[in-house]
Amino acid sequence: MSFQTLKVLEAFLENPGDELSGADVHKRSCVASGTLYPILLRLESAGWFVSRWEAIDPAKVGRPRRRLYRLTRSGLAHASGVFASFGRGIPA
Amino acid sequence: MNPHDRWFDAVARNLIRHAATRAPPALSERLGEEWLADLAARTGVLSQLRFALGCCWATNVIAHEFGAPVRAAAAAAGSKTAVVHDAGSEPTFSRRTTVILLVVGFHVLVICVLAAAIVAPKGLKPSPPPRIDVSFLARPAPPVPPTPVDLTLANIRVIDVAPPEGPPVPPERTDTIQGQVTEAPPVRPNGPPLPKTVNRVLGGPGAGFPNTDDFYPQASIRLREMGIATVSVCVDSAGRLNGKPTIDHSSGIARLDEGALKLAKAGSGYYRPTTEDGRPVSACYPFRVKFQLRD
Repeated sequence: MSFQTLKVLEAFLENPGDELSGADVHKRSCVASGTLYPILLRLESAGWFVSRWEAIDPAKVGRPRRRLYRLTRSGLAHASGVFASFGRGIPA
Repeated sequence: MNPHDRWFDAVARNLIRHAATRAPPALSERLGEEWLADLAARTGVLSQLRFALGCCWATNVIAHEFGAPVRAAAAAAGSKTAVVHDAGSEPTFSRRTTVILLVVGFHVLVICVLAAAIVAPKGLKPSPPPRIDVSFLARPAPPVPPTPVDLTLANIRVIDVAPPEGPPVPPERTDTIQGQVTEAPPVRPNGPPLPKTVNRVLGGPGAGFPNTDDFYPQASIRLREMGIATVSVCVDSAGRLNGKPTIDHSSGIARLDEGALKLAKAGSGYYRPTTEDGRPVSACYPFRVKFQLRD
């Protein structure tokens, strides 16, 4: 598992119930977009994440809807296991 | 939003749309909308451009990893978001490996170019360090203390050395003829006036004269060109050039002549002036610059 993938997982583990857009993950993890989106898709395809479109009306809110990602139960277990194997979180 | 920002925003959006169209068809629409939404969350044109360029890169990775399997799965399930990871379709090189290879390749290229520029042409031995000898056609004589004027004709002498070849270099304005009397001669009580002996010592490079090794042309070192150039300089009483140095006798190689002229110019202010009876005067004189390489 790459360092960038660990950073992305750590961003979700701050509050495992959060639904985060790609922009939110970037803010928390500082992983560049060229690396971030393939990781999100990869983890989603592996079943660690699920994603959905934000339930807003873009015309009312004045911005486009975002794609939101959330850790699945199995994803949370896997991610926690990965960090537990390190014994601590990765440094910021 | 000012016009520049609008232009950058349009560029970033177009980049993202272009990147999305190159993604696997099943993901193309989703990624395009997702990335445009995340682009709107970015502030600053540079950040937006960086984000858009990153999306272009992401498209390559996603297309490589998810291309064929996604198309197959999407066609089967009718889903736009179905994503199947095919572990066997890893890219040939990861992004990090690609960047490292590019950086290493660039450095190798730079080193090759520098090496090609530095290495001597084939068939030539490595150049030894250059040695430049500067010698003077007219060696300055040791200063002689002024002696009382002897009025007998037999004792009249002129201490002045002209270059062995070529016409004699005329002295500066105050001189009339080299070594001749420049002031009113003493008068013998019962005869014509006699010229006075003038002790004239030609100048040359003095203390602080530039390091001559710096003026051996690099091309001449590589080609092992050697020769002697004779340079004529006019120096004032303070040791400064008061005219452009000229080549009296060429070394036969234009590069060496040029090096000799540069050396002569760089030495301005560090010449020892010509003296007459110990008094510095302006004068012109030639000197030789010998370019010679050690074997």
